[in-house]
Amino acid sequence: MKLFQTLLDRRRFLQSSAVVGATAGAAGVTGLTGLAQAPQARAQTPRGETVVTKSICAQCPARCGIDVYTTDGRVHAIYGDTGNPIANGKLCPKGHLGSYFLYDPDRFKGPMRRTNPNKGRDEDPGFVPISWDEALDMVAERLNGLRDRGESHRFAHFYGRGWGASDAGLYGDFGKLYGTPNSAIGHASMCAEGSKRAKRATDGNDSYNSYDYRNTNYLLIMGASFLEAFRPYNNVMQMWGHMRSKSPKTRVTCVDVRMNPTMAAADRALYIKPGTDGAFALAVAHVILTEGLWDKEFVGDFYQASGRFISGETIPVDSFEENWVHGLTEWWNQELKNRTPEWAEEITSIPARHIRQTAIEFGSTRPAVALFERGPTGHTNGTYNGMAIHALNALVGSLFAKGGLGYQMGVPYGALPVNADDYLDDYARDGAWKDQPRIDMARTERWPMTSHMMQETGPNHLAGDPYKLDTAMFFYTNPIWTAPDPKVWEEAFKDVFVIDTSPFPGETAMYADLILPDSTYLERLQDSPTYPFEGWPMTALRVPAVEPIYDTRHFGDILIGIGKRLNGPAGEYYRELDSVENVLRHRAAGFAENPGDNGVNDFESWKEKGVWYKKPYHWRLERGRFYEWGGLDYNLQMSPEEVKAKLFKTPSGKFEFKSGFLEEHAAYIEREMGIPAERVGLIQWVEPQHSGGNGDLYFVTPKTPLHAEGRGANVPHNIAIHQPIVGGRDTVYLEVHPRTAQERGIRNGDRVRITSDLGSIEAECRFVAGHRPDTLVLPFEFGHWAQGRWAKGRGPGHSGEVTANVSDPISGLASYYTGKVKLERA
Amino acid sequence: MNMSMKDRKTRTQANVLQGPLGWGLLVASGIVLLASLAFALIQLMVNGHTSFNTGSTLPWGQPIATYLYFALASSGLGLIASLPLVFGFKQYYPVAKRCIFLAFIVLISGMAVLALELGNVFRMLWAIPLNLQVQSAMFWMGVFYALDLLFLLWKFSKLQGGEWDSKTAKQVGIASFIGVLLASGNLALIFGMMSMRPFWFDALLPIYFYFTGVTSGVAALVFFIYLAHGFQRERMPPALKALLTGALPKLFAALIGGTLLFITVRAITGLYSNNPEINLVWTDYLFASPLYNASLLLGLLLPFVVMLSASLRNSVGVQVLVACLVFLGLFAERFYFVVGGQVVPMFRGTWEPGLISYTPSTTEWSLTFIGISLCFVLYLLGEKFLNLGDMPRHMAEAPAGAPAAGAPAAGAPAAGAQANTA
Amino acid sequence: MAKWGMVIDLDKCTGCQACTTACSMENNTLPGESWQDVLFYHEGEYPSAQMKWLPRPCMQCENPSCVHVCPTRATYKDPDAGGIVFVDWNKCIGCKYCMIACPYGVRFYADEKPLIEPDIREAYPSENGQLWSPPYQNPDEDWQRGIGIQPPGVVSKCTFCYHKVKHAPEGVADLDEDNPEVKEYVPACVRTCAPKARYFGDLDNPESQVNQLIGDRHGVRLKDHTGNRPQVYYLGAGAGVPAFTPADREHDA
Repeated sequence: MKLFQTLLDRRRFLQSSAVVGATAGAAGVTGLTGLAQAPQARAQTPRGETVVTKSICAQCPARCGIDVYTTDGRVHAIYGDTGNPIANGKLCPKGHLGSYFLYDPDRFKGPMRRTNPNKGRDEDPGFVPISWDEALDMVAERLNGLRDRGESHRFAHFYGRGWGASDAGLYGDFGKLYGTPNSAIGHASMCAEGSKRAKRATDGNDSYNSYDYRNTNYLLIMGASFLEAFRPYNNVMQMWGHMRSKSPKTRVTCVDVRMNPTMAAADRALYIKPGTDGAFALAVAHVILTEGLWDKEFVGDFYQASGRFISGETIPVDSFEENWVHGLTEWWNQELKNRTPEWAEEITSIPARHIRQTAIEFGSTRPAVALFERGPTGHTNGTYNGMAIHALNALVGSLFAKGGLGYQMGVPYGALPVNADDYLDDYARDGAWKDQPRIDMARTERWPMTSHMMQETGPNHLAGDPYKLDTAMFFYTNPIWTAPDPKVWEEAFKDVFVIDTSPFPGETAMYADLILPDSTYLERLQDSPTYPFEGWPMTALRVPAVEPIYDTRHFGDILIGIGKRLNGPAGEYYRELDSVENVLRHRAAGFAENPGDNGVNDFESWKEKGVWYKKPYHWRLERGRFYEWGGLDYNLQMSPEEVKAKLFKTPSGKFEFKSGFLEEHAAYIEREMGIPAERVGLIQWVEPQHSGGNGDLYFVTPKTPLHAEGRGANVPHNIAIHQPIVGGRDTVYLEVHPRTAQERGIRNGDRVRITSDLGSIEAECRFVAGHRPDTLVLPFEFGHWAQGRWAKGRGPGHSGEVTANVSDPISGLASYYTGKVKLERA
Repeated sequence: MNMSMKDRKTRTQANVLQGPLGWGLLVASGIVLLASLAFALIQLMVNGHTSFNTGSTLPWGQPIATYLYFALASSGLGLIASLPLVFGFKQYYPVAKRCIFLAFIVLISGMAVLALELGNVFRMLWAIPLNLQVQSAMFWMGVFYALDLLFLLWKFSKLQGGEWDSKTAKQVGIASFIGVLLASGNLALIFGMMSMRPFWFDALLPIYFYFTGVTSGVAALVFFIYLAHGFQRERMPPALKALLTGALPKLFAALIGGTLLFITVRAITGLYSNNPEINLVWTDYLFASPLYNASLLLGLLLPFVVMLSASLRNSVGVQVLVACLVFLGLFAERFYFVVGGQVVPMFRGTWEPGLISYTPSTTEWSLTFIGISLCFVLYLLGEKFLNLGDMPRHMAEAPAGAPAAGAPAAGAPAAGAQANTA
Repeated sequence: MAKWGMVIDLDKCTGCQACTTACSMENNTLPGESWQDVLFYHEGEYPSAQMKWLPRPCMQCENPSCVHVCPTRATYKDPDAGGIVFVDWNKCIGCKYCMIACPYGVRFYADEKPLIEPDIREAYPSENGQLWSPPYQNPDEDWQRGIGIQPPGVVSKCTFCYHKVKHAPEGVADLDEDNPEVKEYVPACVRTCAPKARYFGDLDNPESQVNQLIGDRHGVRLKDHTGNRPQVYYLGAGAGVPAFTPADREHDA
């Protein structure tokens, strides 16, 4: 008996030390080490003083207003701001994870200088901390030296997400004052430039649209990832809930190359062959015309009641009276008359009957909206695809109509305290830099119709054509990883003095000679005029929820700090500008004359409410006539001249089925795309030129709802749920149709190799029987070689490494989704 | 007195574990125990339960299966002990004390494993009695196994004091028997009442648990008897020898056969059912696993076939081999039973595209080794100090092969066994 | 006292998982410890395939099997808290029987292998008895109701954000996030749901919006055959979850 007792005691002793030890170790002290104290150990604890600060999310372009909850100096919750018209108290899945950006354990904690001169994936930069003064002096010395040598054009700014007047808004003046054509090179051509250019070419607005979803009765969604990535995502989902439960319920047809949530939730899902959206849209237009479903008040009508559009037959010239459109007769006669659903079926693989049904529904339901994004435009024929889709909005009279689409109005900001034109020295006004093109060759003969061509910078620098960069400063962009064929950038930027301003250790930062870390968004004071939303002007304000928790600075203040150190009057300009807060105070002065609907009329009230906005949208198409808001109603009818000045900014002042903008560049388009010069203006079917070599499968790399401005790969909660549709719990999988896989001897879950003419990447695959058998899907997120402890080395290879640097000649949009690849078991 | 001293001396020589071999094995199993315990404790201290491969989708893994194995083997041993002590099958007297002892230490070992598996083991000591959640089968598991342990200890102390047939001893024996039935039957219901886990959901599961529990108990008993006697039947006292060449192997064979029958009908039901939560367990997990198939064929079917042969089943080598095979086979059976009830995800969804996979971690294996080695250590100590081969004097003095005095004339198995040995 | 109930409209849900992240940040759960998960599943094949999704919080059952099996009453249904099922972290022994007994798979034992490596618990190591201590943690803590960050060795689950809901005015029929008076008392998943696919209110009040929706839209309860009688109702197509099939078998020719 005694022996048992001894054994029991011993066992108990061992167990108790196990428990105590376990809790005192990594697991922590549990509060249950004793028997008695446990019950009363943890009851409710009192809440500290919680402060709610108005800010703006920074994880996508949508700019949702957020309420940031801070207690005892710690941010612990983020919810949508009820007073913000985009957020309306709601958020998307990314928004809540914002605290991770602030408390990311991998953040840069202050400015640093590189000590290892060698650059590359496996090179440790050997960063050592320096002070802000040292850092900014170092930059200024470099920039002043370049300027003294007449080489200031060799300094370039690069940016991705510009927020507003207090950051990217400062670039133009910087370039002008310092003297470089490269301030700044934006990422638009790696973003969604195709849709902007399609609209520029048809209705004259180089912009994304605003939408009146609340009153829409039909949505034709083409390649927009509407319920995953279409901005403003949060508001789009709010509108989805409304549209799908209002009376009448908004009917939705979704056209995409892959199974996705929008396809799954739509009333009709049509799977299209990648790059052929234009053919589908032309056939829809064809049916709308042959069935007589076009909006006669907006488009116009035949002079004679007997006039008809009949497949394959031309209409007599001058038989159709165009109202607000231009070139319909030529379009029909030279392009559209043969674009039947049967023709489109051959190209798109969508059965003609579905095309016809969609067209009849779209043409007979008002208001109806056709919207699209990178799916149709991420190909060499992207602008033409986009134009064909956008033309549908014209045919049914949705532009500027209630329940239709419009464009975003600007914010009536106050002026800056200084005018850059007053601070130009001779060099700035007329120096050698004036003769230099941009390093990316955008807006030059090489890319005459583009605004930015960031993806060209790496290759151009490597080739020394047009010249070699000396210094490059990056803000909110990471092209050394995100550009197509990024290995070229890795090679190119070895001899450039790189300044990165990201708070996080991305790939670009690994190439940096100087780290000037921006504060994270919950620490910043920053304005943010809305992306195209509902049209009426709006600008939100980020108010710091906490002071910067490390030695970081607002990018705007970094830029102003560099500016202050520039020689000559430029330095004087920045000393006058003083700080981001000063800039914003002057901007907010504009609200005094235009108080917002929520009473915001100055900087202080802006900070308190977090947003200034003023409804309504100022223009409205009603029954074929345009009206301007008169203060109480849309009662000021607009003349054709006013419409041309404010709404249809095309050469004709109308919606152009035959684009004057494209005709201005006819020679370029004929040269680059082989379209006869006399035809370039027509909205037409153009075969896409797929990249990647002779692969037999299309390769698309969409962004998921959790793509958080490139940081999603280092946010554990984000990684845990990143690709729910195939269960991507800690990685993303290649989504493949089971038949496609089985033909190649690939089983569900196998490791596979995806090969283009650029090289190969590997991934694990999961079967998705809903996908097209000819299309592989790999969400764009993982495959980083830097970016933080969770991102580094996670997941499949980086899709960019098998994506060729090919762009739409018109928009310049990189054709990310046009690659063809081969698939095999790894 | 003189006689009994002499007896004891003879037995001391007969039991090899009371000699140097016992010390050697004790040291060896002590080392295994200390090593596995140290490993497990370090893992639990440093990594907590992250060192287990169980998780929120499959919360019960090998430690629970190990506990289940030990708890049911203990119950099986307790039930065998009740054959002579409650039901008067006197030819089982030679193993009664060893059975009671083994039942006790096997249960202790199982509980040790369970203790290391729980999130907060000490909290149990006050939280279960203070909250009296009588709806919970696990509450009753605590009650019944505590009683079981108590009765086993009490019973053993009676036997240790030489009280084989006193009124109290009988009463304690009956109480212990009921305790064993309740404990293991209730343990079965912990699984069997879970209607949301159809693989387990079965009102007759207690019968299955009794059956397999006794089978694993007999396997352990046979192995440990032979171990105590150096795997030589000559060293055994005549009554024990008679049992091992008579009733026990037949009982063992019947038990293995019964276990196989149970598994077969469960498998047929499972394979027949359309319900994927049962069907898939059999098609995609159990029968898809080479290890499971091997455990069935080598751990149960082969032993059963061998034991059907009257000549083979009385051979020492066969009995030891069968005991070991059944021991392993039923351990696998417990493992696959526990895990099999959880491998089908509760919901279809992309997060769990297939069955939930589970392979025990090193730490979980170390818990199993703790159980086994603790069992060995305690057993060896028992053999050394507690005279586990003891039996009523009239049995010990009976000549080999002769019917034991007081054996029930009408006891069917006993009669059969005697007939066989004769 | 109210009986809190939730209604999830699957016809409006967009599968975005904002409920999941709102919950995980409000309740400081570990990656993968998704008290409010969204399950996705596929059926059929191109070009007529379907994909569906199902948000899955704790059902806060009227007859909760998890409560019956808990040997220590650590998990309990609190009629004074609207019938929410809680885990008392001071009493839980970590036997995980409730996880076995829950037909909905919505209980978690966070002291398990990390889903995401490196382990976030190493980035934000434990303080003050918690399993891990992120800097962004919610100041609300009530271990008797499983609110806050759990200690090691206990089971955790959705609490319907009781630390918020408990402040709701007495007798309120609906906690509608669009009503500024009560938005702070609305569970995180309901509050953030952009398409407004979630509703929260008093099931005992026949005039509550949740009851109106259940009535008008024929609300159903998940796995009702288990008899657990959830206090969470689903509307629209998709509440009938197909039986489990291994993904490999879905496309067998």
